[in-house]
Formats: sequence, C-alpha cells, structure tokens
Amino acid sequence: MKTGEDEAGAVRRLNSLLEVSMALAGEVDLDPLLSVILAKATDVMEAETSTIFLYDEDAEVLRSHVSGQLARDAVTLKLGVGIAGQVAKTLAVANVPDAYADPRFNPRYDRDTGFRTRNILCGPLQSRDGRLLGVVQLLNKKGRSGFSTDDQALLLAFASIAGVAIDRARLVEAAVESKRIEESLRLAHDIQMGMLTRRFPSQGVAMHADLEPARAVGGDFYDLLEQDGRVWFTVGDVSGKGMGAALFMAITLTLFRASAEGASSPAEVMSRMNRTLSRDNQRSMFVTVFIALLDIETGRVTFANGGHNPPYVLRESGVLECLSYAASPALGVFEDAVYANSDLALLPGDGMLLYTDGVTEAKAPNESFYGEARLEARLRGLAESPPADWVGGIMADVAAFAAGAPPADDLTLLALRRPRG
Amino acid sequence: MEMREHRIETALVVAPQGRVDSNSSGVLETAILGHAGEPRLLVDLSGVEYISSAGLRVFLMLARKVKEGGGRLVLCGMGASVKQVFDLAGFTALFAVEATLEQGAARLSS
Repeated sequence: MKTGEDEAGAVRRLNSLLEVSMALAGEVDLDPLLSVILAKATDVMEAETSTIFLYDEDAEVLRSHVSGQLARDAVTLKLGVGIAGQVAKTLAVANVPDAYADPRFNPRYDRDTGFRTRNILCGPLQSRDGRLLGVVQLLNKKGRSGFSTDDQALLLAFASIAGVAIDRARLVEAAVESKRIEESLRLAHDIQMGMLTRRFPSQGVAMHADLEPARAVGGDFYDLLEQDGRVWFTVGDVSGKGMGAALFMAITLTLFRASAEGASSPAEVMSRMNRTLSRDNQRSMFVTVFIALLDIETGRVTFANGGHNPPYVLRESGVLECLSYAASPALGVFEDAVYANSDLALLPGDGMLLYTDGVTEAKAPNESFYGEARLEARLRGLAESPPADWVGGIMADVAAFAAGAPPADDLTLLALRRPRG
Repeated sequence: MEMREHRIETALVVAPQGRVDSNSSGVLETAILGHAGEPRLLVDLSGVEYISSAGLRVFLMLARKVKEGGGRLVLCGMGASVKQVFDLAGFTALFAVEATLEQGAARLSS
C-alpha cells in the first residue's frame, strides 16, 4: 500500500517524463537536442550536473558532451573503461552511492575541475532497435541521500525517450546532408547541360545531337558553331566520370569554342586545345575528341581525330563507311602531339554519325556489349529518316538493349546529313 | 579488382585481372601506383578482359610516375580488345609494349 507521498512522487515523475518527451519531440537538431536532454536529465533526476557521452561507432569510443559547471574539453572513453564505459559495454544502469569507493571511478576529472563527485547514476542511451547511442551520466543527487531505485527506473524511462530523439536527430542530419549533395549535383547537372547547345543549323545541313550522362554530371560533350557558310562540329569524351570529368569537360568545351574562333582547320584547333590541356595535367586526365569543319555549299569536310572512336559516313546509296582510326593521341597527354587534317566529300544526301563509346559499350543485363555491329545495323535501318531520328532511334535502341540497367558511361550522338540535291 | 604480383629476376610483374573500368580503376590506381618506384616494372595485361578510358588513365599516370622515378616500364600480354583501346586513343606509342611475358621480361633485363 502506497503512502500519499509515494503517490505524489510517482505522479510528479510521470509528469516530468511527459514534459521531457514533449521537449525532446520539438527538437530535431542534434546539438540543441543534447542540451535539452542534459538540462531535463539534471532537472528530473535532481542531480547537480550531467554528462552525455555519444558513442562513435567507427572509433568505438565514447565522447563527452558536458553541461553545467563541468564545462571542459571533451573526454574520450573506451568501451568498458570507467563507469560510463562499463555502462556502454553492459547496457545496464549503474548506481554508484560513493564514487570514491568505486574502483572504476577516475578522480582525475574532479582534480582537473575542482568538482567533488559524491554519487553517480549512469544509464545507456539506445535506439529503438537496441543500438548503443551513448551514455547519460548524472552526478550528485541533490540533498543528503544518493540516487534511489526510483531514480534508476526514471533514468531508464528517460533514456529510452532520449535515445529515440537522438537517433531521429541523426537520421534527419544525414538526410539533410544527402539532400544537400543531391541538390548541388542537380545544379551541376543543369549547369553542364546548359553548356550544350540545343540550336542546330536551320538550313544547308540537317543536324542533331543528344547527350545522356551516366550520373548527374559526366565527361562527354558535343558542340557546333556556324561560321560564314561553314559549320564546326565536335564530339568528345573525357576519361572517367563524375565531377572531375565534368570539370575537365567544361574546360575542353570552352577551349574548343575559343580555339575554333578564327582558326582555319580542325588540326589547328586540336593542337591549341591539346597544348593548354597538357600543361600541368598532374592527374593525367585526357579527352578524346573528333573535330570537323563542314563547308555547307560544297559538302567538303575537313576533320582531325584525337584518339576518338571513328565516326560513320552514311552515303545516300546506303553504303556505310567508317572513318579509319586516328593515329593521333587523345588530348591532354603530350604537349607536342601532332594533329593532322583529313578530307572527306559529302555528296547531297550523305550523312555522318559521331558517337562516344558509351553507346557501343552500353551493357545488357547478360553482360554483352551493344557493340559496333548493332550500331551499324540500327543506323542502316534509320537511313531514310532525318538525322534527328537517327539520334533518337539509337538512344532508344541502346536503352532497350540495356533493359533498364543504369548506363555505365555517358552516351553522346551527333548526326548530320546534307539535303538531297 | 584483383592484382597478382610476382618477380621474374629483378623485374616486378603486376597482373591486374578482369575489367578495368571507371568502377574498378580507382582500386587499380592505388594498387599499381604503389609500385611506380620499382626500377623494373612489367605489367602483364593478359588477365584484363576489358579496359575503359578511365583504365587507360591509370596506365598514363603509371608511365609518368615510373619515368619520374627513373625506372623502366613494359606492358605485355595485351589481348586484341585491350590493344584496340590503346591504339584508338593513340597511346600505344607512349608505352614499351611486348607480346608475351617472356619477351617483356627479356626487354627489361636487356
């Protein structure tokens, strides 16, 4: 049978727990949450001060967060060491009535701070699924007595509420961070895609291009520049993927635009780009580039190939030619590399297809590659359609081939055809 | 990405296995560049079934580092598809290339 005072105490404790859970529910940021937990723990358990040790899973140590008058540098404890370390290891509450009589107690902290620890109540903080999150430690029950068994029960209830709140705060923190990364990647993607032109020549030649990055950002690019009855066009592929490749791509594309301005031939542009890219290229990034210059009136194409997949020429007759492999190296490796021009005559109705190896190296779920044979067959099948359909048709065919598998590499296609005479 | 290592006389032979693409090239980079200080390094590519441009970059970095350290580097055992990737990028001339492990070792001991 309970006395009136016991009942009043029980109600007071329940109310304080309710207060705690309401206070903790309102706080989702970890640091202020820990302050609230410390303040409430000290208050509810009627202690002089309290400490939270958070468990660092990677380092397998406990690190302190202190409140009240014991403000000092963080303490790091190994599991099993000291009272808090023991609680973290055993996950059981420790109620120490006389700190100095307990061999686990380390009096160094008292010596450092001038605080006098009399008694300690210490309990584990766990997530709902039982993972160790840390330890909450209360020092010096106010008044003459030590911490009671009621305090012990109260601490357990308190710790389970606090544990869930800490776990949730950490999840929120991780989600916010990953959202932030995702958003900066989306911004980088938009910037990079914004660098690619969507304006294609309106007369003299039908031209279209498309690029699909394997990740948010990538190392492929294409470009075209119209200049006094001539059209410069290029496709390139930076080694590697991701942010590094994307930055190198942006530099390469900018260099192409700057170099093509006022240049007389693709080899000249390529040499200029290569010299700049090769300087101080400590990471050995390189970029394969095909650059061509089409005279819209005559159909003459001058081109240079810096280590890129040879493009196709699709004649009006239906004959498919592959521009032979270049001996010239990819850009960014040797400053003194020599690039040479080659010539090609496009007759009315003849077309070209430039691509990056993300197309031919697209993988099916059974690990087979899309390959050049399939690309050639698809291109032949599209011969009667306009170049925009070559690009769309091949992109769709690669996607069908990959059968939903995420692309391993960026895909780029650029197609053009002279109007039939 | 697995890399086997053994010695033929004074040359260290490293033999990457499998696919060298943008997923595995980081692992290869760490593993193989650790040997860039070897005076005689022989890279046996016979176990490499595929190499992407990200993989090529690792060998460019290796060539640069070996050269900086005053060592010698020979590549050997390239399959047809691997050789095509080196040829296509125009990088074959950058490397001392031998067909077989024996020829590679002989070139390094000369």
